[in-house]
Amino acid sequence: MTHPASKQTWQRVEELRVLLVEDEPRMSKLVSRALVRAGFAVDAFATCADGREAISLIHYDAAILDLGLPDGDGLTLLATRDSVGRSIPVLILTARDTIEDRVGGLDAGADDYLVKPFAMRELIARMKALLRRPGSALGSLLTAGNVIFDTIARDVRIGNDIVALSRREIAILEHLMRRLGRVVPKAVLEEKLYGIDDELESNAIPVHVHHLRRGLADAGGTVQIHTVRGVGYLLTELKA
Amino acid sequence: MIRGWLQSLQVRLALRVAALYIAATVVVIVVLMSRAYDTARSLGDQELLLRANDLARYVTAGENGLPRLELPPNLGAMYQVPSGSDIFAIRDANGRVIAAAPPRFGEFVAGWPGATFEPARFSVRLDTEPGDFDGLSISRETVTGLVSVSVGRSSAGAAALYALMRKFIHDTIWAVSILVLAALAVGILGIRSGLKPVRSISEMAAAIGPHAMSVRLPDKGLPSEISPLVTAVNRALDRVEQGFNIQRKFTANAAHELRTPLAIITAALEEIEGDDDFVELKADVARMNRLVEQLLRVARLDAIVLDVTGVADLNEVASSVVATMAPWALARDRTIAFKGFRDPVLVKGNRHAIGDAIRNLVENAVLHSPAWSEVLLRTDPDGRVSVADRGPGIIAADQERIFDRFWRGKGVQFEGAGLGLAIVKEIMNAHGGRVSVENRSPDGAIFTLHFIMVDREDEDSPVSRHKSAYGKAVPP
Repeated sequence: MTHPASKQTWQRVEELRVLLVEDEPRMSKLVSRALVRAGFAVDAFATCADGREAISLIHYDAAILDLGLPDGDGLTLLATRDSVGRSIPVLILTARDTIEDRVGGLDAGADDYLVKPFAMRELIARMKALLRRPGSALGSLLTAGNVIFDTIARDVRIGNDIVALSRREIAILEHLMRRLGRVVPKAVLEEKLYGIDDELESNAIPVHVHHLRRGLADAGGTVQIHTVRGVGYLLTELKA
Repeated sequence: MIRGWLQSLQVRLALRVAALYIAATVVVIVVLMSRAYDTARSLGDQELLLRANDLARYVTAGENGLPRLELPPNLGAMYQVPSGSDIFAIRDANGRVIAAAPPRFGEFVAGWPGATFEPARFSVRLDTEPGDFDGLSISRETVTGLVSVSVGRSSAGAAALYALMRKFIHDTIWAVSILVLAALAVGILGIRSGLKPVRSISEMAAAIGPHAMSVRLPDKGLPSEISPLVTAVNRALDRVEQGFNIQRKFTANAAHELRTPLAIITAALEEIEGDDDFVELKADVARMNRLVEQLLRVARLDAIVLDVTGVADLNEVASSVVATMAPWALARDRTIAFKGFRDPVLVKGNRHAIGDAIRNLVENAVLHSPAWSEVLLRTDPDGRVSVADRGPGIIAADQERIFDRFWRGKGVQFEGAGLGLAIVKEIMNAHGGRVSVENRSPDGAIFTLHFIMVDREDEDSPVSRHKSAYGKAVPP
């Protein structure tokens, strides 16, 4: 059985560097191995102090922090991250999952939160989602299924063919691909499209999504856009 | 009911005091009556004796040497009143009647034996006079020798006296009854005011729960009979709180201590490929994960301390739950839709806890829905949010029990511990709201959470919204 995440190693993540701060050696080794298998370079540390030093010396693309470290709370590293002046997406790994813990972690500036025990493929998927954000390491070339989105050239390819899409459809697809597998609220899309369509009709988004869906399907894309009625849209890769 | 009523200290004491008062009253009245009658009689006898002496004094020797009665005019007039209430007769030693009034009494007395120095009572009815006469006969020394004096009085007079006495007794009974009631009232009020602190500490005791473990009952102003109980209860509370804190700490520690090794095992197993036995082993670990998760949820359910003082927009919370759970539902070939009220629905509460409650309902709804069906969330302007599915619905007999802990429907093949709805109910209780369930036509169930709306004047208060909540929300 091949790991689902390993199918995507052709993505250009080889040069991405991830900081892992986790005090439990077995856990640290397993997470490192999974990240390496997914194509990341990993630096693993066991204490806050080491993590702080590493984050101020090396340009990491993302960080994974455990909360209960021997010399303090992993959340204190967030302050160090902010002080180095680079935006490094941070994912918290923890065994604590009360409402207070979750809110505390997110309020402190963490970008995502994963409760132990978790599936490794979930961790890899979350990491990639964080890195797909604009300005993050994977932010310029997005992939979903066989669809490749070059955010600099503003073109969408399936295989070697460019898919003919309108500017508005491309804008919608970008947001859906950046948040692959998660719901993008309709209000967010409306906000993004407002700059393009000064007069946005109330049914503009559904019409654009309809066209986008057809365009991708006609070009043989292995992705699907789902409508979450009353909330927004969701892009998933087709089940193999 | 009656039993509980009889258990009341007030009632018990009141009943006993009332019985005592009634018994005492009866005894007092009986004694008083007999004493009064005795006194009245002896007073009557005294008066009759005095009259007999008086009469004897006026017996003098007549011209013929025979004794005769010479009454002063005023006294004579008194005895001459026809149908008067007083009668008398005087006989000499030979039994001859010297004087009598009325004369018919003289005829009557003539046949009687001579009197002695000991007064002898008589009672006569005279055919010339109305009514009965009671009196006494006595022998008295006069200037003419011994005479027998019989004096009497109409019993009608005595009857008047007795009537007077009866009235007095009657009045006494009334007075004593009023006294009894007053004493009872004083007793009951005394007990009641004495027990008032007990009632107020009972209310305090009722408020003690997981959210207010540190409350202790005050023993100030308590009756000394009750303060040992309060002290004992406070000591018991100390021990309970201690145990409770240990339990809380255990829950938090257990989460960490159990999850980390489980996470390691889970992650390690993921790396390995193996045969059927190995697949089974993975399933065992997955089951272990669920079990630990459920145990922690049970432990936390009791230790939950919620801050429900905030304000939440049901539209925002519900749509964020839909956004987080839609991918999970889609992976199971179910869809989730949201139909929000056009304006924010602001309710009092903790948005994260409300989100947990809604998430539990959506999880249930998706698990019980047929494939390709839609779970619909909607909010209503009166502080309601509902989750409707197209599953089998809830049979009437189960509609109460589904919120019990560990309750699971018959033939349910899902992996839950039967805690989801119990947690929902707990969260709603903490919010002063409630959860209701009804069946949907033609099939399915609708669970509705009813919250307390934010007052108009509170509406300007800051709403704890996370605009980017979608990016941060934690999937189930």
